Parts: sequence; C-alpha cells; structure tokens
Amino acid sequence: MVDPELQTEPSDHEELIAFLERDQLTADRMRAVPRAPLGRRLQLALWALRVFVIIVSAMVIYTFFSQLG
Amino acid sequence: MSVNAPPGDPCVTGGQAAVPLPPLSREDVARSRDRSRVHQARTANRRWYLLWLLVGPGILSMLGENDGPSMISYTTTGATYGVGFFLPFILITFAMAYVCQEMSMRIGAVTHRGYGQLVLQRYGRVWGWFAATDLLFTNLVTLIAEFVAIRIGLAYFHLGAGVAAVLGLALVVFTLAGGRYWRWERIVLGLAIFNGLFLVSALMVGPHWGTVGHAVLTFSPFPGGSFNELLLLVASTIGATVTPWMVFFQQSASADKGLTPRDLRQGRTDTVLGSVLAAVFGCGALLTGAALATHGGGHVQGLAGAGFPGALRALDGGGVGTVFALGLIEAGAVAVLTISASTAYAAGEAVGKASSFNSSVRGAILFYSANVAGALVAGAVILIPGAPLLSIALNANVLATVLLPVTLVFVIMLANDRQLMGRWVNSRLTNVLAGSIVAFVSVCGAAYGIDSFLRTVHLIHG
Repeated sequence: MVDPELQTEPSDHEELIAFLERDQLTADRMRAVPRAPLGRRLQLALWALRVFVIIVSAMVIYTFFSQLG
Repeated sequence: MSVNAPPGDPCVTGGQAAVPLPPLSREDVARSRDRSRVHQARTANRRWYLLWLLVGPGILSMLGENDGPSMISYTTTGATYGVGFFLPFILITFAMAYVCQEMSMRIGAVTHRGYGQLVLQRYGRVWGWFAATDLLFTNLVTLIAEFVAIRIGLAYFHLGAGVAAVLGLALVVFTLAGGRYWRWERIVLGLAIFNGLFLVSALMVGPHWGTVGHAVLTFSPFPGGSFNELLLLVASTIGATVTPWMVFFQQSASADKGLTPRDLRQGRTDTVLGSVLAAVFGCGALLTGAALATHGGGHVQGLAGAGFPGALRALDGGGVGTVFALGLIEAGAVAVLTISASTAYAAGEAVGKASSFNSSVRGAILFYSANVAGALVAGAVILIPGAPLLSIALNANVLATVLLPVTLVFVIMLANDRQLMGRWVNSRLTNVLAGSIVAFVSVCGAAYGIDSFLRTVHLIHG
C-alpha cells in the first residue's frame, strides 16, 4: 500500500524541508555528535556503579533460579 | 542542538535559501507532513488540536509501563497488604517517573536523537553498548512477562498460550504495517486507553473510600509481614513505574515524532497526562487486589496458580474477573508494542542504522526486524509448559529496578550537557530530584537483591 502523502516531486522538497529543523533531517541525525570528555573521577564513579549493578543483577538472577529449583 | 545548529532554529527561514537543499528521505517526508499539521495548528492558535497532535510518547511510555507485570505486581500488593502504604507509594513512584521521563522527552525534542545513539556517540562505545545490552536483556525478560500477562488474561476465557503468542505477534506486525510513526502511535494510543479497565474493576469491587483517603493522606497502615517480601514488592512497585525501556522509548519516540523545543510545553503536558492516568489506573489495580485481601489474597503463589481474574470471579460471580482479565490482555498487548519499539530503537541506534517508524522496511530492516524478533522469542518462551508465571512477572520488574540507576545517570548527564541541550539543560531542582531518585532506586534494588541472595545462600534467616 502506497501512502499518497509520501509521494513527492522534487519541486515539493523546499516546502517540505521548511517544516523541519535542520538537525531533524535524516542526513543530519545520522551525523555523529562529538565525544564528550569524561573526567577520571566521573569514569571511576560510572565504573563503580556499573560493577555494583552487575553484582546485584547476578544476585537477583541467582535467587530467581534458586527459587525455581 | 548546538553541536550542529542553534536549538530551536527552524529550517524554515528564508536565510537558508543559499544553502543547497539536502536530500530528503522517506522518513523526512513523513515527519515533515506531520510537522506541517503542527505548524498549521500553532499558526491558527488551535490549542487543543495542537495538543492532540503532540501528545503520544509520554502517555504511551507511562501507560505502556502499566504493563502486565506491573498490574500483577500492584494487584499482588493489594491482595497481600490491602489498602494502605502502597497506594500513596504508587503516586510517589509516578511523580518520580515524571521527573525521569520529562528529561527524556526534553533531550529527544532538543537533540532529535535517541538515548542509545547519544550515549554511544557522546560517551563512547563501551557505555553505549552497556546501555543497549542492559535494555535488550531487560526488554526480553519483560516481553516474556507481557506474554505471560496476555496468557493469564486469555486463560480466563479458556484460550491457551498459543493464542496469546499469536495475538501478541500479530499486533506487532499489524501496527508496523504502513510505515508511519503517526499511524503506529495512534493505534497504540487507542489500545492503551483500555488500561482504564483497571479503574473500572476497582469501582466494581466497591472500595471503602474513607479507607482509601486515609491511606493516601497518612501512608498507613504500614505493611507488616516478611521483610523480604515487602522489599520485593517495594522494588517491583518501583520497577513497575520507572524502567530503562521507558527512557529509551520516550526519547527516541519524541525524536521520531519530530518534537522540537517549541513543543516542550505540550511534551510536558503529555508526560503529566500519562503519569496521572497511569497512577490512577495503577491504583485501580491495587484496589481491585485489595478486595481479595480478606479472601486469602496473601497467598500470592496460590493466586498465581488460579490467576487473579479467577480469584476475582469468586467475589461477584464474574463481572470483575472479566474486566480484570481484559485489562491484563490490554496491559500486556500495549507493553508488547511499546517495549518492542524501544528494543528496535535501541538496536538501530547501537549500530548507527535508520531507526524510525517513518522509514520503509527496506530502509530500516534492522529496526523492523528487532521489533518483531523480540516479540517472536518472548511469544515462543510462554509456550513452554510449567513456566513460573508470577515469579517471572515480579522478577522482571525487580531486574528493571536494579539496572535503572545506570540508565538514569546517563539521562542526567545528557540533560546537563550544555553543548547538546543549550538553554534547555536541567534546572537545579530537577537535578536534585533526579539525583534523589537515582539514590532511592539504587538502595531499594540493592536491598532486595542482597537480602534475597543472602537468604538463598542461608547466610541470614527469617
């Protein structure tokens, strides 16, 4: 099924673009944003949180399977 | 987004005439058609029509999270403890959800990019892949629980697991047909409104409104009983309200819908509306469950075997049970759709491929495949006989609670990233609230995880 709203002519493009912000266009959205620098302390905190979450997740999963047994 | 262009600057300006027109994809055309209606409504000052056009991601993420496991969790809480502490606690958790989801909506509207894409590009592949892996894992577990909920609801009408699996999968495929975000959103919104069935069931059991008012105002009576069971219900109640998939979904859906900074007010209204509806319907499930509290509702596992709808039928001869069963089917079905969508967004964003309902299947093959694949696997799992239904449902929520802090920390970081967000960065109040939520969720998730583990390995007793 072809959506008639999506059938366009090249002459329509200017009008269509007018309703979008420039960085809403697919070509722009696919462009990578620059990397943000993460300070050493922040990296350490993020890794600590990550390890903490993995350990607690493992506990929850272990408990779940133990209860099944 | 200031990385590429000043936020809020529409392309629609004569000043850009000198710039050559970029190529338009199918996705751009579809989004532009939707935005043209928004533009006309705004120009004509048709406020209600404008709101109608712009609502969606907030209501869907909130009502999507009023899913099968959540409603079973609320009902279990009501059946175990009656009307008391957990009723106002649900209201607080939805206020927490609003704080988190408003940030997601705002980031999506300002940057026009999904959460997974931004974490990956801004903070590196390791964190991006961790985020995607967390999401895919919890989504798969939660999707299984959604199919379980549909199965419990259908079992009331003497329909089996096969029907549940086919129904869920057919819904996913049906809503994907058409290749428009707008169409997908409106179909799912139409289904999601039936989450109100839980309010209907609550009204049918006739709660004592004086007790309800007292509970809301005083947070009492405070639940007694096993500490571990209480922790499980606290953690699963949080997990029933704020989860990683909601963050992924609302940010990506806001970007896919084409929200811009000019739409933030409507985006907030959408999120508030979703929170209020979800809180009211969630309380409805708890009040329905509370009607069972005096009928052996504390025997949670027993209820899992019989099914809540069946237990409720015993109360009034069938009406409440039927409404509740239909509510469970709806809750599971809508969540299958929204969670599958969040999986698809995450998969596309993780590998830098097109991830939009506005793309064609050929143009976004990974997005569409991931949407269907999660539902396919989850639907297959519930066909396994003897699966521990209630345990899967409750633990899916707990797992979501445990993994949530990492997701929220990155949301807060993105929402404070001035280079990305410009003047739409978090206020100090939002940061204080969001930080407190991360701390609270971490403590609750960890308390349950550690306590349960220590009991399982017999290091503590009781």
